[in-house]
Amino acid sequence: MKRIAIVAAVLAAVLAGCKSSSTTPKELNLFAWSEYVPQGVIDGFTKETGIKVNYETYASNEEMLAKLVSGAQAYDLIQPSEYTIEALVKENRLQPIDAAKVPNLKNIDPKLRGLAHDPNDKYSVPWMVGTVGIVVNTEKVTDPVKGFKDVFQEKYKGRIVVLDDPREIVSWALATDGKGPNDVTPETLAAVTPILKQWLPLVKVYDSDSPKTALLNGDVDLGVVWSGEAALLYNENPKFQYILPAEGAHQFIDSLAIPVDAPNPEAALLFLNYILRPDVSKLISADFPYTNPNLEARKLLSPEELKNPASYPPGDPKLEGFRDIGDSAVQIDKLITDLKAQG
Amino acid sequence: MRTGTTAVTAAAPTRQREPGRAAWLLVAPLFAWVAVFVVAPTLIMLVYSFSERGTLGGVVFNFTLANYAAVFDPTYLQIVVRSIIFAGLTTLFCLGMGYPVAYFIGRADERWRNLLLMLVMIPFWTSFLIRTYAWVTILKSEGLLNSMLLQWSLISQPFEMLYTPGAVLLGLVYTFLPFMILPIYTSVEKLDNALIEAAFDLGAGPLRAFSKVIVPMTSPGITAGILLVFIPALGLYAVNDILGGGKVDMIGNIIENQFKGNARNWPFGAALGITLMVGFAVAFWFTGRRQPHTS
Repeated sequence: MKRIAIVAAVLAAVLAGCKSSSTTPKELNLFAWSEYVPQGVIDGFTKETGIKVNYETYASNEEMLAKLVSGAQAYDLIQPSEYTIEALVKENRLQPIDAAKVPNLKNIDPKLRGLAHDPNDKYSVPWMVGTVGIVVNTEKVTDPVKGFKDVFQEKYKGRIVVLDDPREIVSWALATDGKGPNDVTPETLAAVTPILKQWLPLVKVYDSDSPKTALLNGDVDLGVVWSGEAALLYNENPKFQYILPAEGAHQFIDSLAIPVDAPNPEAALLFLNYILRPDVSKLISADFPYTNPNLEARKLLSPEELKNPASYPPGDPKLEGFRDIGDSAVQIDKLITDLKAQG
Repeated sequence: MRTGTTAVTAAAPTRQREPGRAAWLLVAPLFAWVAVFVVAPTLIMLVYSFSERGTLGGVVFNFTLANYAAVFDPTYLQIVVRSIIFAGLTTLFCLGMGYPVAYFIGRADERWRNLLLMLVMIPFWTSFLIRTYAWVTILKSEGLLNSMLLQWSLISQPFEMLYTPGAVLLGLVYTFLPFMILPIYTSVEKLDNALIEAAFDLGAGPLRAFSKVIVPMTSPGITAGILLVFIPALGLYAVNDILGGGKVDMIGNIIENQFKGNARNWPFGAALGITLMVGFAVAFWFTGRRQPHTS
């Protein structure tokens, strides 16, 4: 028994020694969306700082939450969207970001700061900004398409791809009904049910991971997709045009945040400052052509990149972000499941 | 369990030796494996299924029956029925195609047998998802199959194959066919030729010999194959998403959504899983009990 105690004491001393002596962290546990962080950016960070990056990926905010709350693995940086940031802050799951240690924060578009999900910019740093809009193969669809109403028409039955995401789909119907995406109550859901009943049977493919595939393959001719996917389609062939729906569109801000139990918060701050450097941020835009929130980086982008209407939509569109809607998410899930089963 | 074993031993004409300590040591790893990876997760699911939904996912340990009440909803029952139909059709096609193949391989010359078996197993060397995406390339409207059919003027318009229920069934049968072939093959390989010859000598035609001798003797392989295909086919949702376009939900999709989708409703997902598990355990138990009477 005594021997075990000594061993334990020695071990504890060694472990404690490790912790106090390491002023520069050795590792960064990054938990981010799949297909969203270029390998070149990770390699560049490791080369400059000597910090090894463990990059783990997820495919939905909820998948990330599931792993985060299970506590099986501690992460230093996560990449939630606004409504998830809001939910995490409510549950005290994020730690404040020391802005003094991230001087490059000055590069962020001021229009994207101080928003409802993080009013004091305490917990999140924008990574990429995107919208959900309409993409049209103009070789196959010649009639003008301006909004959701023009997409979900009987004549396009079996030619439409949409995101496999109940909340997105419901938000489009809400917009058509003149309501905001966060106006989710039993009454508003009942009001949009007939609209959805009309829409869902027209859809050929539900795909959130790679909705561009069905469009590229020629299996569908129009759809409602992430702007980044539309930008890639446009780069492939300009016949794929991106249109922000006239009824109003969902804008999402994917940000980086530091969980409260992050083992290496210092490494996380170093990474934040690194990716906010214009020359690094430019690399992210090159691979994932969403709207870059970094104004200094935008100056380094090519005219072609800035002309892509899916990345930088012209005009002054009506955009709104998703808020945390709590239990209403369960009702939305049930509604879409019911309607799909009927269709 | 214990009484069952002694009953069998007593009924058996030749008394079997009680397993010694060494035998128990040998099976201990299996018991440990089952306890850690089967029993423990199932118990966790059971507890979750009686809990309340947590805000960020996860559960709050407040006892409730609401999750089970929500399972018995017409929509979910309809989805379960559809999943059973798809899994059943998959099993049927796999059996219809797999049995002749397994029989052929099992009865083939020994020199060829290993090569043929290898050919059945080669697809396993590639990820299941990649093989499913390969079907997208084959079936899409500007894909391999359509361009071939157009080239040979067999069709004048691209034939819509991808994102149809047929494509889902094709993907499922393709995925699970080896799981039917392999167990049947092991049964066929052990077939005693003398018994088949005896059947012919006693005047049985090929059909009678097949149905009265060959099928009963290979039935362990058939049963194993049916179970190995039907149960996983019921829960698999990736094929439905990739080849079916996610238009109709399978029960696997619904369960996945409770954990990785908007709803973040773990307790309900757990309740669905437990209900399915209990349902099939009961069904399996009944078929297992009925078998001795039918044969």
